[in-house]
Amino acid sequence: MRQRQPKHQGAREAVILFTVGGFKFAIAANAVREVRGIEGLEPRAAAGAAPVRIPKVTYTLERNGAVYFVVDAARHFHLLPSKAARVLVLHNDPVAVLTDSTDRIMEISTLHELPLAFTGDERAWYRGLAIMNGDVVPVVNHHAFLGKSEQSVLKSALNIPATDNRRAVAV
Amino acid sequence: MTTVSDEKSFVLFPLGNKRFALHAETVSELAIPDRLQQFPHCSPLQAGVLVRRGKIMPVCDAAKALLGPEAKPGKFYLIANRRFGSRQEKTAISVSGECELASLAPVAPTGKLPKYITGLLTIGSEIIEIVDLEKLFSTEDAA
Repeated sequence: MRQRQPKHQGAREAVILFTVGGFKFAIAANAVREVRGIEGLEPRAAAGAAPVRIPKVTYTLERNGAVYFVVDAARHFHLLPSKAARVLVLHNDPVAVLTDSTDRIMEISTLHELPLAFTGDERAWYRGLAIMNGDVVPVVNHHAFLGKSEQSVLKSALNIPATDNRRAVAV
Repeated sequence: MTTVSDEKSFVLFPLGNKRFALHAETVSELAIPDRLQQFPHCSPLQAGVLVRRGKIMPVCDAAKALLGPEAKPGKFYLIANRRFGSRQEKTAISVSGECELASLAPVAPTGKLPKYITGLLTIGSEIIEIVDLEKLFSTEDAA
């Protein structure tokens, strides 16, 4: 049985705002290694990973000898295709996120629990909800963009050993 | 013959051209129109959230289940309590207009009605279906 998590209050957290398909989202600033443009993205088919059916991973990105799997956030959130222009490169995992735009960094002091009425994939997508200037903004769970098993499958397709931190994980 | 002891309190609410009823004890208030806020999700019947008194409240688009997928959500909100195991959560249900509190004697549903219709109320020639919110949501979640 799920236990109700109290809303987290008090500690302030810096988040980066970004948009996808007209929706605004927030991601913990300390989960993001770099925010960049879409230059350098390589279609995944060209990277030799086409046979693996993880449609939300549309591109790969090579940075400093590490390969990142680029998750199309619109597909991840089951939205219509959108005009992606910015990439959030994440820390600790070989994952980057394709977004429409990035906005400013803000601080939140309260993370509201996602209401229990929401029972679908969004329970994994979001850590909770924040209220920013009266607007409700979901704070994403960055670990949900690409699970460890999906990462392993993709690494295998690129012939990257699952334990090869040099090539597949940002260091 | 209907007696006073058979009567129970219901909140009657309009959706489209019909009225439905909820047991009054599940309803906490009728809220004025408020700004519906939306974000991506996969939960059937959830239209978004409202911010009320600094808290975030889910909004249920009951019209879709009760009237059909083309039905448009209302602009007013009835605030009801939902149970999740041992826990409760307030949820806003979009309704089309003003609600009415009435004491009426329910009768058992007749004919082929969905399981979430747990009884019927009669006011003159109008027949009002009593909705069990928990059954409504569990039906939609299973669909």
